[in-house]
Amino acid sequence: MAQCGGGGDLSRHRKGHLETVESLCQGLLDDVMLDDDKCRAMFGYLQEWQDLGSMCYGSLGEPPLPQASNGSGGFRKRRPEACLDAKAESDSVCKRQRGKQQQQQPCHPDQVAVAGKGRLERARAGAKKKVEVASPKDSPATSASTVTAGQKTDYIHVRARRGQATDSHSLAERVRRERISERMRYLQELVPGCNKVTGKAGMLDEIINYVQSLQKQVEFLSMKIAASNPVVNFNIVEDLFGRQLSQAACNPAALPAMTLPIEQGEPSCLQMGPLQQMQTSAGSSSFGLNMVVSNPYSPAPGGQISASAAMSVPAGASVEPCINVNGAAGWDIGAHNLFSGFDAPFQSVQSDCLLDNLKMEM
Amino acid sequence: MSSRRSSRGSISEEEINEPISKLQSLLPNSRRRGSSQASTTKLLKETCNYIKSLHREVDDLSDRLSDLMSTMDHNSPGAEIIRSILRS
Repeated sequence: MAQCGGGGDLSRHRKGHLETVESLCQGLLDDVMLDDDKCRAMFGYLQEWQDLGSMCYGSLGEPPLPQASNGSGGFRKRRPEACLDAKAESDSVCKRQRGKQQQQQPCHPDQVAVAGKGRLERARAGAKKKVEVASPKDSPATSASTVTAGQKTDYIHVRARRGQATDSHSLAERVRRERISERMRYLQELVPGCNKVTGKAGMLDEIINYVQSLQKQVEFLSMKIAASNPVVNFNIVEDLFGRQLSQAACNPAALPAMTLPIEQGEPSCLQMGPLQQMQTSAGSSSFGLNMVVSNPYSPAPGGQISASAAMSVPAGASVEPCINVNGAAGWDIGAHNLFSGFDAPFQSVQSDCLLDNLKMEM
Repeated sequence: MSSRRSSRGSISEEEINEPISKLQSLLPNSRRRGSSQASTTKLLKETCNYIKSLHREVDDLSDRLSDLMSTMDHNSPGAEIIRSILRS
């Protein structure tokens, strides 16, 4: 049997560290370990991996109990892998510590029990019944000593017990999966309605839908704001235009398009144009864009296409200075972007007119 | 025997890769085109952050819109337009 041989082989290592190990393992082993040979095997194995033990002490501040008892089952068969396995696990434990602590809490005693059982199944098949009786007893002992230790230990136990992956790739894969699960749990909290969905695929679908709906929401809101700002500003612009006209058109040559609708006696088209356009295109998701394109007062009666196309440009250009002076709170970046393309060429032309307006406003 | 895995709802990699890639296409900064295996965790993390930022953005925009509504209350035609947009 593996650990009888191991016990004889390794028992010489145990002298120096026996007390420490014994005090650490006492709670767990007292109930389960029935004969001295097994005890010796256990401790001997522990000493075999004392670097691991010290690593655990150093990095985790936890007793190296799990690795030791875990390895005692099969270390004869796969010692090199076991070394790799245990070391990788102790590394990964550090990383996953945070997630494990919450996650393992509810099922903790069961896990320990299962772990304990698995360990001794390998160690001695004949003693199965006794172990099953004993393992529930040792799990409270472990959890009583240190909760985190128990959590980590049972995790490692279970992982090793599966026996399907002792190479570093599988371990890394398992670590990865754990992290993914952790993230998924986190996302589950973020995404409403995700709790009802079972399975990662369903959850991911739910998350995708949620992200898409949020994106649409943001898009829609910014469009609303972008759309509502020009509407507001057009009224102000209209006011300005009216004053400008009553002021006997400070520079008609520079603003030929601006004077056009007003000369036609249709000042209301400034307001009505965007109003109608926006109401008709509000349903479509890209109505903000529609507005910019169709904004040029197409319903303006008698307005030639060239004139109405030119109209939108000075209107957009003059919006920003007007707003700045009037101190309207809600000037939107989106609206600014909509018109920023038009700002540059006309700003200089209009600046003197607007300056006059500003003076008038003040 | 793998009680942990089954309790988590174990699914195959292929099953999870499809929505993951879809999710990746949704994220604004899909610059990480590494192996999907390694980046799944990162992707999920980014998704968390992205959802949070979207939440923030929605809140911000809603605030701004309500501000806008309140500032232009006196301006009934504009407010009417916005109201009609909001209703639609």
